[in-house]
This record gives sequence, C-alpha cells and structure tokens, in this order.
Amino acid sequence: MTDVHRRFLQLLMTHGVLEEWDVRRLQKHCYRVHDRTAAVEELEDFINNINSVLESLYIEIKKGATEDDGRPVYALVNLATTSVSKMASDFAENELDLFRKALELIIDSETGFASSTNILNLVDQLKGKKMRKKEAEQVLQKFVQNKWLIEKEGEFTLHSRAILEMEQYIRETYPDAVKICNICHSLLIQGQSCETCGIRMHLPCVAKYFQSNSEPRCPHCNDYWPHEIPEVFDPEKEREAATSRATKRSLRSRQH
Amino acid sequence: MLQKPESGALPSPQAEGEKDGSRDGETQTLTASQKEVPSPFLQESPNEDLGARREEGATASSLTPKGARTLAAKALARRRAYRRLDRTVAELVQFLLVKDKKKSPITRSEMVKYVIGDLKDLFPEIIARAAEHLRYVFGFELKQFGRKHHTYILVNKHKPLEEEEEEVEEEDLGGDGPRLGLLIMILGLIYMKGNSARETQVWEMLRRLGVRPSKYHFLFGYPKRLIMEDFVQQRYLNYRQVPHTNPPECEFSWGPRSNLEISKMKVLGFVAKLHKKEPQHWPVQYREALADEADRARAKARAEASMRARARARARATDRAGIYPW
Repeated sequence: MTDVHRRFLQLLMTHGVLEEWDVRRLQKHCYRVHDRTAAVEELEDFINNINSVLESLYIEIKKGATEDDGRPVYALVNLATTSVSKMASDFAENELDLFRKALELIIDSETGFASSTNILNLVDQLKGKKMRKKEAEQVLQKFVQNKWLIEKEGEFTLHSRAILEMEQYIRETYPDAVKICNICHSLLIQGQSCETCGIRMHLPCVAKYFQSNSEPRCPHCNDYWPHEIPEVFDPEKEREAATSRATKRSLRSRQH
Repeated sequence: MLQKPESGALPSPQAEGEKDGSRDGETQTLTASQKEVPSPFLQESPNEDLGARREEGATASSLTPKGARTLAAKALARRRAYRRLDRTVAELVQFLLVKDKKKSPITRSEMVKYVIGDLKDLFPEIIARAAEHLRYVFGFELKQFGRKHHTYILVNKHKPLEEEEEEVEEEDLGGDGPRLGLLIMILGLIYMKGNSARETQVWEMLRRLGVRPSKYHFLFGYPKRLIMEDFVQQRYLNYRQVPHTNPPECEFSWGPRSNLEISKMKVLGFVAKLHKKEPQHWPVQYREALADEADRARAKARAEASMRARARARARATDRAGIYPW
C-alpha cells in the first residue's frame, strides 16, 4: 500500500463513482504525483491489491456497468451494508425516507423508472419533519447531483452508484419485488423482458448475448426476442469521444 | 461470503506517556494520548485464566468433556467479541470518512451515538485502531483538538493546500483549487497583519480582487457563505468579535485546520511571490515563520519516534497473529 494507492483511494472516494476511462486517468495521475519512475500497474491488479487491504475494513472497490449502455464503472462500496448507510450522514431523516419511497417505486415499476409525480405524491407519508412538494423536488435534485438517482424526462431511476452500493441491501429488503438479470444474475432495475416467459436481461447483457445473432431468441423459452438489440459498449469509441470532451474542457478552463 | 482473516491475538495498544507537540496548544496527534483500558474482550482477565487452569488442574492430565466444552465456548465468545470489535472499527472508519467529506469536525459523542454504542468503554482502543487504518489505508491523520480533546478532524497527509503542478488535473478530477486559493489569500492577509485581520480588511482585499460578499462568483459561489460559514465550520478560519470595540468589530485568525495543513513559511512564500519579493523582505514575519518551522520539525521528530516505537511493538505482536499484509 503506497501513496499512489492512497491518493487513488482518496480521489475515488471524492467522486463516489467513476467510469473506467476516468479511473485509468486517475490511476496515471496518482503515479505521476507520487512515483513517476514506477511502471503503471495493470488496472485490475492495481485494484485487487487495494481491495486486499480494504478487506479488513469491509469495503471494496467494486466494478459494475451502467444499465443503459454498459459503460464500466467503479465505486467504493460497503460490504456489510445494514441500510442506506453511505447516504445516512448526508441527508436528513425525511430525505432518506423520500429516497426509500422512490427506491420502492422504482423497484416495483415495470420500466425501472418512477415518475416525479408519483414520488412527490408520497410526501405526506414521510417520516421526520414535514416536507412540502417543492422541497421534495429539490431533494430529488440533490439525489441526482450526488449520483444516487438519474433523471430522464421527469422520471427517476437508480444511478449505477446506488446499484453498486445498495444491491445487497435491496435484495435483502425487497426479496419478492426485486428483479434479477437472467444472464449475469445481478440486480436488474432497467432492462428488457421476454413477453412470453417474463425473464429479464440488462441491456448490455442483451447486447453481449445476442451479439451478431440475426435471430435472437429467448434463452429460457426460445421464443423470438421482440426487442431491439443494443450495441455492445466499445471502449475505443468512448475514448475518442472523451478525449475531445477533455480537450474542450481544459481549453475552456485555461482561457481566463 | 465475506472472507476475513481470522485473528488469533490482537496487538494491544501501547500507552506511551509522551504527547505529540501541539501547534498552538490546541491540537494533538491521536497516538499516545489514550490510556490503556483493561477490556474484557482483549485481555484475558486473571480470573478467567485461573478458572481455566483450575479446571485443568482438577482433572489431572486431560480435560473432562465438560471442561473442554466450557473452554471451547469461551474461545468462541472471544472470537465473536473480536469480530464485533473489528466490525465496529470498520464502521467507525467509514463514519469518519463520510463525515470528513463535509469537513465538519466530528465529536466523540457523535461517534458513540452512531457507531460505537455499548462498546463505549472500548472507545480508546477502537479509535486508535481506526486511526491506524485511516493512516495506513487512506493516508489521513486523525487529529484531536478542542479544549476537552473530544473533537476530531481528518487531515490529508498529502497536503492539499500546497501548490501542485498537477493542480489543473486535480480540478478536473474533483479538487477545490480556486476555493483553497482564496483561502490562502485570506490566510496570507491574516498572517501579514500579525496573525489576525479585521473582517473589514478581508472584504477590502477581496473587493480589490473583484470579489463581493453577496454577489455570486463563478469560481467561489457566494463568497460570504464560503468564508463566514464553510471555512469557519471546517476550522480553516476562526471568527470572533473583538472585545471592547464599538461599534462591534469582528476579526479572523487562522483556524486549527489551517495550522495543520499549511505552514507560516509556506504562506509567507506565497505572499512574497505575489509581490515579486523574497520572504526575507518582511523580517518580522520571516523570523516568526522560521520559529514555526523549527517547532514543526521538533513535533514531527517526536511523532516519528513514537510511531517507530509503536511499529516495533506491533511487529512483535503481529509476528504471532499475522494480521496486516505489509
């Protein structure tokens, strides 16, 4: 465990969750700051080394993927989750309860999204201090800013950070309502489902499973798979897009 | 399931009498100030030992089945207690990390209320082990301060207030460059004015930089809130009313976190660069900064000596238990 690893951990913690491309940039940055001469270790080994030290603290750097397009993400998660613990110190009791209500609606929904209206209608049932709908709207935005929820056209779903962080808690707390992906057997919030037998798959799992398959069929009941097959996530294309984003960003910041 | 290295024996905390040198009498490194607490979990109470031996003695050479069961039950209870202790330490580490993100100091009573609960008597042991994890794994120092020494903050060993060539990179990656730059300007003003500056002087300096208290600034947000609330709450600045002033005036001075994270010499260097002069150009401040450097060097040497002593003691203990992978 060296300063390179420590700096990496600190910065990863600051962000909560990071996409793989940013994680690699972060790793290189930490080497540059603390140990220019050393060779940059392969990311997987680098993270495994850190995780072996984190084990005794019941936390680990976990790798997951965004549910909509399969981008790999990394987050520092608790292994012994008893509740929504990481959020507990950042939010008041009524705010945490609002999150729990939104979480329940999301899990129960067919699409993995809960509408703003439906969440706000539950404002009267919250524990703790009374919250008005206007306030609740702002709290929901706070959740989005802190990467616990994602908003799309007035509807909310779980951010990949929340899924990574709370999967165990969700599976234990809502064992009947929870949906599981037929391919990777992890928690599923958004995905596609077979209209005949009802099994579900993550969009990136669908992409990988049916890759270059012209006649996609349900792996369970063999019926035709009725949905559009998404593309497999390509890190190369992603890197090109991200480099041009970063160049634009640094040009802007140096302009004053 | 969770693989956790099973620990046979725990290294017990060494209670050294010496204190880490405090910067201004207020802060103390959390290493040596805890007295060793005789805990039922960690040390075999003499009675227990005697009991086991008595049983062994009573049955001549081998244990009766009953005796063996009792010993096994005791061992199981001890293991459970160790696991519970480890878990509590881990929870405290996470609690401190989360709380520190907001940079507000954490009190002992908060820790007991939210994490430690009925293991309250083991607080010194728990917090010492949590501090060790924070240092080894994350590079944070857990520092105590406050009159009763019951308030704690985490200080980054990697000194975030120092200039870094990588500053731009870290901004992209989530650093607080501009806000800390503003802080250093204020710390500089305070230092050059003899370690305290009137509130009016601070706002005057900032006005010259185009920063107004209640006008939203694209880099600093609302400066008044940043300086009067955030920096004060995070203990970067102290803010108090100057006695015997009419109309009442208020002044800023360096807060304990500033003393921990940056030095007078560094701030003087920053001011000097700003004026394109050498630090020696201000002989009074330069002398004061030199004295400050000497104090810090002494404190550092003392802290390192006590760390080495503890590392030696720990190495002796963990040779048997093999807990840490280093």
